[in-house]
Amino acid sequence: MHLLVQIPFLAQLVTEEARLQHQYEFLSYGLTAAWVILAVYVLMMVGRERKLKREIAGLRAMLEEKHGE
Amino acid sequence: MREKILYILGAAAIAILVWNISAIARLPEETQQGVTFKIIFFHVPVAIAAVTAACVSFLASAGFLITRNFKFDAAAVASTEVGLAFLAANLVTGSIWGREIWGIWWTWDARLTSALVCWLLYAGYLMLRQAIEEPTQRATFAAVFSIFAFIDVPIVVFSIKWWRTQHPQPVFWAGGSFPPDWTRHFLWNMAAILMLGIVMTAVRYRQEEAQREIDSLRRMAHAI
Repeated sequence: MHLLVQIPFLAQLVTEEARLQHQYEFLSYGLTAAWVILAVYVLMMVGRERKLKREIAGLRAMLEEKHGE
Repeated sequence: MREKILYILGAAAIAILVWNISAIARLPEETQQGVTFKIIFFHVPVAIAAVTAACVSFLASAGFLITRNFKFDAAAVASTEVGLAFLAANLVTGSIWGREIWGIWWTWDARLTSALVCWLLYAGYLMLRQAIEEPTQRATFAAVFSIFAFIDVPIVVFSIKWWRTQHPQPVFWAGGSFPPDWTRHFLWNMAAILMLGIVMTAVRYRQEEAQREIDSLRRMAHAI
């Protein structure tokens, strides 16, 4: 590999590939970060939705019980 | 029915984003920044969605102060929270882009600093809401704070025009343009992210309404 890189054309090819790989790495970091932030927020929202539904059901049941008494 | 429409819209937005990622990957490299430049397809739409959310929050807050209708307060808190998530995505993608192109994760230039201040102000808005128990007082204080926080939004938007910043001029304002292919995919992403923002705001709005229902049920339970 080291010897092959001594050939100018191949050296250029290797450098180009390394540059592309590096850039794709950063692009994927960027996209992953954006998706992860939005996904975490959506998951937080889902959790909150469940908690609210549970709370409403609990309070309604409690009120019905009190009315029954 | 309304719930179903929201879920369909959300699923459509995610489908567009997923389809668009593969299309964006196939686009040619940008001449100066190469492949990294493609972060723009997310970085800018999330910024526009965040600014839109801030505008909605400002209008809803003003609406609450004028009418005292709690629906405006719910709209303000919903759009602020969603906007905050989008602004966080914008700041993080910008930082990653900056690390590759400028060689630094962060710099205290006008655009970046004003955007971070904006994020902190809106995070402060949510913290303020947590700190006040009484609903009317909470909504009033939060509305006033939201209107105050909105002052920073035009500063964020126009900072790159008003000052010489490390952050570049925008592609479209500065007389630049995308090739037609790029514009099409950019607009698709823009539409999908705005759609996602609308769905998230609507869901969050409903949750705020549910919270008000819980508050009234609690009051009823205490009264009995």
